Amino acid sequence: MSTTRWAIPAVAAALVAASATLLVVRGAQSRYEREFAMRMARTTATYIAAVTPPPPPPPAPRPPPAARRGRTRAPQPSVPPAPPPPALQLSPAARSYHLPALLSQARALKTLPGWTSEVEVYYGTAPLVDATAPPLTPDDLRELDSKGTRWRGGVALVPLRDRQGRELAGAVAVRPLRVPRGPLPGGLGFALPAALLAVGAAGAIAFRGRPLRRGGYIAAALLLAVAGFSDVRTAARISTDRWLVDTRRLIQDAAARIPPPGVRVTLNELAALVQNTGGELVDGEPGESAPRRVQIDGVERAVVVITIGSNRWVELRTTPAELDAPRWIILLLPCALLGPIGILLLRWAERTPVRQQRVSAIAWGFLTPAIVHLLVFTIGPAIFAIYLALHSAGTVVGLANFRSVLDDPVMWHSFRNTLVYSLYVPVSVALALFAALMVHAHRTRWSGRLLGAAFLSPYVCSVVAIALLWQLIYQMGSLGVGRVDWLNNQATALAAVMLIAIWAHVGGQMMVFLVGLRRIPPSYLDAARVDGAGAWQRFWRITLPLLRPFTWFVVVTGFISAFQVFTLVFVLTQGGPLHSTDVLAYRVYQLAWGSPAGAGIGVGTAFAAAVFVLVVIFRWPQLKLLSRVVRDA
Amino acid sequence: MAPITVRRLSKVFDGGVQALHPLDLEVRDGELLVLLGPSGSGKTTVLRCIAGLEVPSSGDVVIGERVVTQLSPAERDVAMVFQNPALYPHLTVRENIAFPLEVRRVAAAQVARRVLEAATRLGLKDVLDRMPDQLSEGERQRVALGRAVVRGPQVFLLDEPLSRLDARLRIALRGELLALHRALGATMIYVTHDQTEAMTIGQRIAVLHEGRLLQVGTPEEVYQRPADVHVARFVGTPGMNVLQGRGRAAEKGRVIEVGSLVIPMELSTYEGELQLGIRPEFVTLCAANHGVGNADVLVVEPLGSETLVHLDVGGQPLVARVPGFADARVGTQIGVKVDRRRVYLFDAAGAPLT
Repeated sequence: MSTTRWAIPAVAAALVAASATLLVVRGAQSRYEREFAMRMARTTATYIAAVTPPPPPPPAPRPPPAARRGRTRAPQPSVPPAPPPPALQLSPAARSYHLPALLSQARALKTLPGWTSEVEVYYGTAPLVDATAPPLTPDDLRELDSKGTRWRGGVALVPLRDRQGRELAGAVAVRPLRVPRGPLPGGLGFALPAALLAVGAAGAIAFRGRPLRRGGYIAAALLLAVAGFSDVRTAARISTDRWLVDTRRLIQDAAARIPPPGVRVTLNELAALVQNTGGELVDGEPGESAPRRVQIDGVERAVVVITIGSNRWVELRTTPAELDAPRWIILLLPCALLGPIGILLLRWAERTPVRQQRVSAIAWGFLTPAIVHLLVFTIGPAIFAIYLALHSAGTVVGLANFRSVLDDPVMWHSFRNTLVYSLYVPVSVALALFAALMVHAHRTRWSGRLLGAAFLSPYVCSVVAIALLWQLIYQMGSLGVGRVDWLNNQATALAAVMLIAIWAHVGGQMMVFLVGLRRIPPSYLDAARVDGAGAWQRFWRITLPLLRPFTWFVVVTGFISAFQVFTLVFVLTQGGPLHSTDVLAYRVYQLAWGSPAGAGIGVGTAFAAAVFVLVVIFRWPQLKLLSRVVRDA
Repeated sequence: MAPITVRRLSKVFDGGVQALHPLDLEVRDGELLVLLGPSGSGKTTVLRCIAGLEVPSSGDVVIGERVVTQLSPAERDVAMVFQNPALYPHLTVRENIAFPLEVRRVAAAQVARRVLEAATRLGLKDVLDRMPDQLSEGERQRVALGRAVVRGPQVFLLDEPLSRLDARLRIALRGELLALHRALGATMIYVTHDQTEAMTIGQRIAVLHEGRLLQVGTPEEVYQRPADVHVARFVGTPGMNVLQGRGRAAEKGRVIEVGSLVIPMELSTYEGELQLGIRPEFVTLCAANHGVGNADVLVVEPLGSETLVHLDVGGQPLVARVPGFADARVGTQIGVKVDRRRVYLFDAAGAPLT
């Protein structure tokens, strides 16, 4: 076996995978940097609008402080659109800013202690902080006015509106600053060393010809994915921390300047500064100054303590950006695994004859639609359900949903009901076997066919139709039997539903048994007859054992579907009366959609997950058995 | 150990197919009778009627002194071995052999003893605890025999038990079967479509054709004095040549014309349309125009000790069996001679002319 023939492509695959992973990491990092810049620009614009004093009052004394305080609102994206392009009108001077005041305000930003952002303020199109910076174009402003934010030349631009928050007065730009992102010396992340390691591992395996060590390369690729994720998470964390720290400076500054001298600033006035940027300001207590993460009501929040004035503290809270970082795994993991997959494919191609390669490729081609279908409609929703079960109203709550499932008083009741309900399965299986034996014995005559069709007809009907039909029968009475309102009687409701289930399922189970009976060679029964076995002995000793795979199939699938019963209960009783027909699947539905606006989705899916685990625990031995008997059949 | 008598037995199936025309058959006590016939000849139906698996449309089956026509298979005290061989797949060899005893509620100790006895007799002791699908074809057929033997029935019915085996195994098991028959001394009816098998094991052979019993006799009788043209054709490898012809008067005595052959032969009782039978070994080849006629050589099959030469005589096929390697080339004309003493004559309907 020549090692070099696939060694170079293998290293190339490893390189591609490593670069792709690094690219994703870099993309994610710059995404968080841009998010930070945009957020910071918006906060700064709100801050400027709040603290810049009004123009000096040549005509008449201008608004009293109280009125102005009410106006310190953040810019609204839904401001009426700008006037038509050619004549872009800036805010009339009266409501706008006094240029010298704005100028000094903008310059002052640079001198805020601990301020890390690189910021520029434009009055109209003119830069104020760094006068030599290129001015904006009127087009930039127009676009800002209509769209709210803009990303231009590596800088986040947001509109600076007048103090009443109405018309455009200028813009605030924040350049995302490349701070050291990684935890390693020199700001190096984990991803780059991990990528080098992975490529090195691939090279070592490929060139030294150690095929058995490729497990090591898969480990290296996984390590690369983990390292990349760690870097992305760090970037997300830093972006939140920097916003907290820089916003703290603005708030401290604003606290000193918003109120007229001698008046203490109110919490609301300060809270208005951050409320449109995803922040929340509450009264706080003294604590360490660095941003940290705390659990508040079971939800993780990033907080920083701000001192405003003597003995006054507020706490700035926001959602940590790293909470949504795990979604990057969806990109990172496949990228990192490109390498191992490529190497495995190369090795497979080297070992496999060309013809078999073609056959395999065709087979995979035919499998692809099924795989895609499985991914999109089965595995995807299942993963989404797990996600939903761990969240509540969009935030991570861990296992809280599961706890509320266990605390649900109806849960155990509905579990018991489901168990009782599933007892219809043995009954219907026995009836189905009996029906199948009768139909099979008469299979060549019209009576047998008619009997089979009669048994089968409920099975091909819609469950809803069956339910409605039986509701009518129970309510109105039929066949000379008077009105038997079993569905509304707490003691009989479940049994009444079970009766309908038997009626609906016998046909399908009979079909399975008929197939099984048809597969028993007649010579077995002939041999048994000559051997002296009577009809009863032939059934117990020959027919029933030979039907065993089919019996197990019917029983296991019957129990599985009994555990999932929903439609009958939904149409007939809605779980009533008094929860006497409340079954697991219906309880899931009620928890998920019963509370207003789907607030219980998380609890509902948690319940569903719990039911799934239960079903698996209960059915696992039977499923194992089923696969065995199906193999035997 | 009981004789079997079948009286006027017939069977019409549900669709109106007459599978059996009324037939009489007598199987002597302890005899091994072979029911021979091509597929569809009704031989299996006869067997199933005797076993009680089919209800005859008319006629009676007598086993020993009892008329069993209306009895169930269980009450007839017969054992049957099937072609496929119908071992219960969910039971071990031991349980399969024990099955006929267990359904008859024989005591467990006795079951164990008799199963072991039967297994020893058939060389199955080592495989008693295997499942049927773990056995070879030959072992499976032996287990089926064991299941029949274990009960010690009066009558054994064997429905093509060896047809699924390869040639070598078939010959070996044939010998075992004969030894078993000698040892048990039971009455056996053996159904087969293989005339070689019938000749080698049958004490008597009953030949069936299209639901009719054509002849019952010893292998020698069936071979040498076929009672019907179908029997003649069916028995022997290859079977007898049967040619359509007619007798007529000629200058010197009388002759029979079959295709391109003109065979001088005295006919005492018959003239006109007839069928002439001649076994391949009594057809000899000679130079063209030196025999009773000429034939085209179609196929030459050398078998080593002998050669089969397939000929065409005026549109009718004729097979000659010649010793060693024949000097006949495909596509040439060759002369044919027949041994006149070995010629069989049948009338147009197939009955022998004497």
